[in-house]
Amino acid sequence: MRPLQAAAVAAGTLAAAALLVALAGASPLAAARALLDGALASPAALGETFARSTALVLTALGAVVAFRSGVLNIGLEGQLLAGAAAAAAVGPAVGNLPFIGRLAVLLAAALAGAAWVLPAAWLAERRKVPAVLSTILLNLVAAAGVTWLVRGPLRDPAGDYPQSRPLADALVLPPLVPGTRATAAVVVAFALAALAAVVLGRTALGLKLRAAGLSPRAARAAGLDDVGLRTGAFLASGALAGLAGGLEVLAITARLYDPFSAGIGFTGIAAALLGGMAPAGSAVAALLFAALGAGSSALQRDAGVPSALASVVPALAVLGLLLARGRREAP
Amino acid sequence: MSGFLEVALLLSAPLLLAAAGELVLERSGSLQIGLEGTMLAGAFTAFAAARAGTGPYAALAASAAVGAGAGLLFALFAVARRADPILVGTVWNLLALGATGFAYRLLAGETGSVLQVRTLPADLLGLPWPVLASFLVPPVLHLLLTRTRPGLRIVAAGEHPEAVRAQGLSVVAIRTGASTLAGVLGALGGGLLVLTISPTFVEGVTAGRGFLALAIVVFARWKPLRLVPASLLLGGVTALQYRLQALGFQAVPYAFFLALPGLLALAALAVSGRGGGAPKALGTPAP
Repeated sequence: MRPLQAAAVAAGTLAAAALLVALAGASPLAAARALLDGALASPAALGETFARSTALVLTALGAVVAFRSGVLNIGLEGQLLAGAAAAAAVGPAVGNLPFIGRLAVLLAAALAGAAWVLPAAWLAERRKVPAVLSTILLNLVAAAGVTWLVRGPLRDPAGDYPQSRPLADALVLPPLVPGTRATAAVVVAFALAALAAVVLGRTALGLKLRAAGLSPRAARAAGLDDVGLRTGAFLASGALAGLAGGLEVLAITARLYDPFSAGIGFTGIAAALLGGMAPAGSAVAALLFAALGAGSSALQRDAGVPSALASVVPALAVLGLLLARGRREAP
Repeated sequence: MSGFLEVALLLSAPLLLAAAGELVLERSGSLQIGLEGTMLAGAFTAFAAARAGTGPYAALAASAAVGAGAGLLFALFAVARRADPILVGTVWNLLALGATGFAYRLLAGETGSVLQVRTLPADLLGLPWPVLASFLVPPVLHLLLTRTRPGLRIVAAGEHPEAVRAQGLSVVAIRTGASTLAGVLGALGGGLLVLTISPTFVEGVTAGRGFLALAIVVFARWKPLRLVPASLLLGGVTALQYRLQALGFQAVPYAFFLALPGLLALAALAVSGRGGGAPKALGTPAP
């Protein structure tokens, strides 16, 4: 993407956002101010941005790992729900041993996310069913599963609403800076982004994965196990999304409820696309979208602009990018 | 409208319309996995038009018009500009979910109260006639794709786009036409949902029906007439859930029935596989 194109996409997105704000009856300039205040201007606002970035960074990484290896995993939303459900199921059962308990919760979440990929991986490799289709359908099944769990087996008998029993206070991650919502989960997400950047860009495994993604036939002809590489990347991608759900429970919600996620998995894919399908760029895009999310919540509170702005604007930005880029494939 | 059969037909018709549109688009060689978003846009348009005081038929027409616009817009990205249709479609869903949620908030205010709209009158065999007319779409498409010049061109664009191009025809124009029709049918499906069985709008009111319609097309092996049984099966399963809920059935958790259409679609794909029938040039850029 040329700088001029990028500038045009950014300007177009900003103009569309300003139009939406004006439609909602607010002044775009005042709204921009409120949005920035809500996302950046105080430790609490900045903490909110970072807290929201965790799941977006991890699902964006999941998209990067899968897409670069030639697997179109559109089901990160469902894998995130599977991870969150596993965390909410395991969490209350492990008592209040912080280290072991958290480790168990996150391990369960990552495994559940990977397990949610298994049917799609099997369908793709054995039955030639496109992963796009199977993962999308698994999203629907996961959402129904959450609906069932919070009303059935995981239901908190003490609460009026259908939600799961909470994790012990000792288990829930404390804020890194008192008075904010940012926890060590943020550090985990960005550390994994760095790890993904190194693995994909600097290791033999990363090279093999990218080769399988660029041309499965060429990879196979070169003696690589393309099925194994694709399946491994698929599972890793699911594990990352599952971890996103687990950390959401461990750091923010402490329990599962319904609906649990308003499209985090899809916004994560948008972040990966805006980030050029590279781990570092995707993490930055995810942080940007998280700031937009935090700012939009403040904007809805202060100026009555619907917070759905936070999913419209990323979608517009990526559509602008796709329009400008046209046929050229992601690197 | 209380009988099981009526509810099953009411729930099958939107699936059938959306799947029929997607089938035409896929036979032309493109694909729109953002069908859920198009249905959602149609559902919201019908809701907004009906709230603004138009009659239910005018609301349905408004859905169709917005659908045509959505189809043209998709073609601009994925056909004319040749961006990866799967990426465009994925973001399309995000955009539609956000934009309809945004617009709904503006319309309904912050109260979150449920706003009802007037539904289509049940004027033919106890059902609104557009619901029954939906079941005529597959046979019409069958004739269109096998017997008419535009239909054969659509099929040729999906099988051998280079040959179409060599004839001096524009694959972009053919696929854009197919995309427009797919947009109209998908949005009509969403509109029909709001104007018959769920006469209000909530965020994500289409509840994954667009995704089910995608699976129906694959399961029907891209043959229009086979869309009918597949849509009736998934519509019927959803109707069963309504029925059991109405009867106060607690033995089978109703979430199981929420999951059932998705599980059935997955099972159907597992049995049939990608198999034959897929257009050869499906998802490839126009030459």
